[in-house]
Amino acid sequence: MVMMADPIARQDSVRVSALHALAYCPRLFYLEEVEELYTQDAAVFAGRRLHVELEQQEDAQWQDLYLESEDLGLRGRLDALRTRSGQLIPYEHKRGRAHRDEANQPQAWDSDRLQILAYACLIESALGTPVAEGRIRYHADNVVVHVPLTDAGRAEVRQAIAAARALRQSDLRPPVTVNERLCARCSLAPVCLPEEARLAHDREWEPVRLFPADDDRQVVHVLEPGSRVGRTGEQLKVARLNQPVELFPIRQVAQVVLHSYAQISTQALHFCADQGVGVHFISGGGRYLGSFDTRQGSIQRRIRQYQALTDGAVCLRLAQRLVMCRGQGQRKFLMRGQRSASPAVQAALKPTIAQMQAVLKQVDRADSLATLLGLEGKLAALYFGALPLLIGEKVPPELRFDGRNRRPPKDRFNALLSFGYALVFKDVMNGILTVGLEPALGFYHQPRSQAAPLALDLLEIFRVPLVDMTVMASVNRGQWDVAADFEVRGPQVWLSEVGRHKFVELYERRKEETWKHPKLGYALSYRRWFELEVRLLEKEWMGEGGLFAQLVLR
Amino acid sequence: MAELKHWYMVCYDIRDPKRWRKAYRLLEGYGERLQYSIFRCWLSQRDRERLRWELEKVLAAEDSLLLVGMCDRCVQRIPSYNRPESWQVRGDRFRIL
Repeated sequence: MVMMADPIARQDSVRVSALHALAYCPRLFYLEEVEELYTQDAAVFAGRRLHVELEQQEDAQWQDLYLESEDLGLRGRLDALRTRSGQLIPYEHKRGRAHRDEANQPQAWDSDRLQILAYACLIESALGTPVAEGRIRYHADNVVVHVPLTDAGRAEVRQAIAAARALRQSDLRPPVTVNERLCARCSLAPVCLPEEARLAHDREWEPVRLFPADDDRQVVHVLEPGSRVGRTGEQLKVARLNQPVELFPIRQVAQVVLHSYAQISTQALHFCADQGVGVHFISGGGRYLGSFDTRQGSIQRRIRQYQALTDGAVCLRLAQRLVMCRGQGQRKFLMRGQRSASPAVQAALKPTIAQMQAVLKQVDRADSLATLLGLEGKLAALYFGALPLLIGEKVPPELRFDGRNRRPPKDRFNALLSFGYALVFKDVMNGILTVGLEPALGFYHQPRSQAAPLALDLLEIFRVPLVDMTVMASVNRGQWDVAADFEVRGPQVWLSEVGRHKFVELYERRKEETWKHPKLGYALSYRRWFELEVRLLEKEWMGEGGLFAQLVLR
Repeated sequence: MAELKHWYMVCYDIRDPKRWRKAYRLLEGYGERLQYSIFRCWLSQRDRERLRWELEKVLAAEDSLLLVGMCDRCVQRIPSYNRPESWQVRGDRFRIL
């Protein structure tokens, strides 16, 4: 008794489970149905397991069926349909507890009630048999709630379907629900960021952190040329020359980064794509080549990005924020260096810090991207002019530098910076792809070959805290071997394989450190920050702005 | 929704080699085998329920499965009454090969 519908009608009808989401929170419905974001939480899997268990228990009685009614514009899969004294009764199994009214009598939750009513209407419409009631069984307290289907109930279902369809056509993401307790149990909280959205509207709001503090899956860097990455069962396998094979359970891997000429099999690529593991390629010279990542966001998300970022005023405002963020970061880093430096160095840094402050004051008044580029250039020139002063006295002359140069880097210090920026670029790209934005459409950098403008934009935020500070600290600690860690080829300087190995380690350790977000007020790791920053950026054009690019060192 | 993670021991007895193989492979994707039919996995509640669901699809009624969640204190105590190599944890969030 399976009703198949043609694909066009299928798109048009509403799933009963989507109505359940709509009754829970319209924003949840919008994120799932329009923006196509699904993150299954523990309850979803527990619910599915319950269904598998039920199927095993009562395979004879069990029937589940897909129904679709073009008349109603509704489709869904019934948990079970039973006949009781000549009446067809749809059953819905819920893992949790029933709602209790004042008299402590079990009642259906609003969203569950709408769901079972929708199933009842669906049966009436698709099978043409009248249904008097639906029943919900709550397994946690083992009660069955009867929900009679009345005309009022039928009207309610029709209204909900109409509301769902209207919302599907809408460009507007509904606001965060007023009831915070719903968010605490919502599977989409890590992508919806309800607390952060509330803060955007109400500066007095104190966000409770809801999302995971950190992603503790591993980032696997494969540096050795001749290594092969493959798949075995549910694991990734890395085979190196003359070394034991390393196995990684796929659910503990966040990214695979292939440096130079490590190989990866097609099977492993399919596997990573299937499991949402980012695969990134970095050339032997430390240049970011690209990624294999199929986590493309929904088109709705991207359309909103196109709309926002083709507006010059929005771009300018965001670019100002970005230049401000990076410039202040650079200035604060010099000020930090000043604290522990000798009086001579302190005196030498002082004018630069003052000049940078003067330039920063002009950023808010800049009226075009060209002006901003000029200001940013000035800031960078001041910063890189003063940066060599922070290098300690004991550091050998080979590791000193006098200004930034790149493509190719001409000294060891610049080689370190360049490689570091490539690694950050890789992580920024990973964040953008995870969130589902279009990396090729940015607001500040102009498109050029190879590098994606949005990633270049976001890179600005992370340069100082993740690379400049890491490089400076490691140089001052004397962690670099001027001969073994670098390869000097005429005027070009690269990191050797040993050097890259060392740098990746330093960088990954730095990413694990935590800091307290100045606006959000909670602590998070740098590693988690990439994705958060992209989500906060997306909020800028979704009406919940003001939180993007707020990191300033203290 | 805090994604707190905990250690879980996953122990099973599976009566059919085909199902055993399937479950074994599945668990290898989640954690690390400690002994025959005993895995340890570092899981969030979400992962745990997902694993239970996936295992449930593989297992039959005659098989047995036991998940044991351990609190931080339980895990800290393990070295004090075991051989030193029996519970080694690499806390690294990255690997460089």
